[in-house]
Amino acid sequence: MKVLYLHKVFMEGGKVIYSPNIMMKTEMLAMILAGGQGTRLGALTKHIAKPAVPFGGRYRIIDFTLSNCTNSGIKEVGVVTQYQPLALNSHLGNGSSWGFDGIDSGLTILQPFSSSDGEKWFQGTAHAIYQNIAYIDQVNPEYILVLSGDHIYKMNYEEMLDFHKEKNASLTVAVIEVPIDEASRFGIMNTDENSRIIEFEEKPEEPKNNLASMGIYIFDWQRLRAVLINSYSKDGQMIDFGKHVIPSYLESGENVYAFRFDGYWKDVGTIDSLWEANMEFIDIENDLDMRDHNWRIYSKNTISPPHFFTETAVIKNSLIVDGCYIAGEIKDSILSTDVRVKEGSKIEKSVIMPGATIGKNVFIKNAIIGENAVVGDNATVYSEEEIFVVGNSEVIGVVSNEY
Amino acid sequence: MNINRVSGIIDNLNCHGELNDLIAHRPLAMLPFDCKYRLLDFQLSNVINANIQALFLLMNQDDMQSVFDHINGGKEWGLDSLRNKFIMHFNKKNQEGEPEQGFISHVVDYLRKSSSEITVIMGSKMLCNIDLKPIIKIHKQNNRSMTVVYKRVTSENISCDNLLINLESDGNISLRNSCKEELEPTEKYNLCMDIFIVRTEWIIEVLENYDKKVESIIKILREKINNVSCMNYEYTGYLSNIYDIPSYYRANKDMLKPSKFNSLLYSNQKIYTKLANEVPTYYAQNSVVNNSHFASGSIVDGTVVDSLIARRCKISESAVIEQSIIMASANIKKNAYIKNAILDKNVIVDEGVRIIGADTNPIIIKKDSHVTTDIVNRRNL
Repeated sequence: MKVLYLHKVFMEGGKVIYSPNIMMKTEMLAMILAGGQGTRLGALTKHIAKPAVPFGGRYRIIDFTLSNCTNSGIKEVGVVTQYQPLALNSHLGNGSSWGFDGIDSGLTILQPFSSSDGEKWFQGTAHAIYQNIAYIDQVNPEYILVLSGDHIYKMNYEEMLDFHKEKNASLTVAVIEVPIDEASRFGIMNTDENSRIIEFEEKPEEPKNNLASMGIYIFDWQRLRAVLINSYSKDGQMIDFGKHVIPSYLESGENVYAFRFDGYWKDVGTIDSLWEANMEFIDIENDLDMRDHNWRIYSKNTISPPHFFTETAVIKNSLIVDGCYIAGEIKDSILSTDVRVKEGSKIEKSVIMPGATIGKNVFIKNAIIGENAVVGDNATVYSEEEIFVVGNSEVIGVVSNEY
Repeated sequence: MNINRVSGIIDNLNCHGELNDLIAHRPLAMLPFDCKYRLLDFQLSNVINANIQALFLLMNQDDMQSVFDHINGGKEWGLDSLRNKFIMHFNKKNQEGEPEQGFISHVVDYLRKSSSEITVIMGSKMLCNIDLKPIIKIHKQNNRSMTVVYKRVTSENISCDNLLINLESDGNISLRNSCKEELEPTEKYNLCMDIFIVRTEWIIEVLENYDKKVESIIKILREKINNVSCMNYEYTGYLSNIYDIPSYYRANKDMLKPSKFNSLLYSNQKIYTKLANEVPTYYAQNSVVNNSHFASGSIVDGTVVDSLIARRCKISESAVIEQSIIMASANIKKNAYIKNAILDKNVIVDEGVRIIGADTNPIIIKKDSHVTTDIVNRRNL
């Protein structure tokens, strides 16, 4: 429990007056919803949760959200997990990779558990918060920041909190402009001239504007707590934030504001968007500005030696990280930690995830090769129609006598 | 006393070598190696990998800042965990530049408190990835006072201040001179690696009764080899003795040979280093890279052949780097040509500038320099 006792010191005409102990609570707690299955990522999320899927060579998707928290000065983070949490849990540890192991900070993994009230499986985003009320009460925040662990972006949540306070909002929703023809895939916010949300439409067929919800919310905790408890003590309809909580806030006339974000933001929930975001990530001029040392993206240390190119290596427009061994040709691709590419192989426009081994004379194009996958000699991994996916630890094109 | 407890001492008091400008601002133990490591990382990892729970790091006072900057709380090596005890001692030098003798009593005090049965003592000049667990076990099982670790090496791995040992037929060890003039170039010699395993009680007694002036703990143990019964243990893994610029250059370039790279960095023991949280290294459309090592965080637009490039370097279009070691945060501008050189940290090389050294004796560019005109070793043209 993070409660600080502060001795306030006042200087009055040279006289020092000590005020009594003032209890200061955690101002804002971040709750990262990381329990989603990510079914649309297919083989890549067969054994790991979507937020733990590797990204950009040395990161996992959730690193962006966690690093944003660190860089925004948030000290207390709860990560709600449910689906296949092992890889995610080991990645998170005690949060030390993101600096959450200090004396006044912490990262808590929140998994469903059984109790005398019955089992606490999470049925939706708002329900997951409801099931963790005990944890949130223990931290006792004034505001709660709800985040999802599956977006690639850099955002200062502190600015969003300042906006929330300035507007005296009860709920602030982060929004981003999306191309109007894609707007029907998102939850769309219709606002007045003061950025107050007056209408919310989930995946509208004919969107009235292009302000899409990013799934990032700041709530006044006591208000949200009351709304959730009231609902679950009756018919329990508050399952999702988008479908249930936001409409109910609007109906009851709460102050709901839209906070505009205009940086790089990518939902990586599908194979296509994951591949695309990785391809955009290669470009060093990318809006994410990864080389900005004032807003670093932190990740767990994997302890690997420097990467090594042999005499036969050829590499164009690509990102390479520690532990790689490269004897083949790499073009427009990302090679993650400890990837090995043997002689004669060609890799184009592909993402090779950590620990994968690519044999000799392999051709890979427009593909995602999963963690620790093995592609045997002379194999071709390419499809003209779609992004080819080789699942985690999957072995393809290996004839048995190669072992 | 806890029979499973082993304490370690890393002694850097008398670690100099002829590395000139490279060790002007840092102790030898802090020399960068293979893009992302420091020499000390290997010793710290050797200690941690052997489950040694108490570590005493002995450095000179001048080294304080660079040591603290790298090690900090020791988190990356697990030195901060509950059961581990980690002490850094920075020893003063007197007006003549010799170490003051106070360190011996500090070491004795540490060893008494460690309640360990066995103590491992080592220096930082010998670059190796050694599994100390079996050596500790062998030492426990016999009654010798000291176990001396050595490796058979050729003369290029030996400097004048090293100790060579002869293994006598009766199992005893005798010493011999290591001066280069007396060594046959093709012959192999038993190089004492300055790694000693002793019983803690024994070393406490030795140190307490030591009344001569001495520069390091290692020197005291070297003197004992002749006088007490010793076990010897031959190390067969990768070793580089770093004592001057050619040996440092050679050790780095060894990493470009896969067999040596694998033996040092892909053995069953990991080498830990300071975490940098750098972005992946970007290779542009025009980059050409051959037989080279890179750490993360760099941008490579030019040509790199047979070289080692550290973190956060920028190698611009048409710049060429051959047979060189580039330390962190270098900025190599367009059309620069660098061959047989070691660029220390934060060096800027201007457009079109040439830096060319000799094959075995590279040119050293000092930390933070800005090179605006050609630096060419004429003999090499």
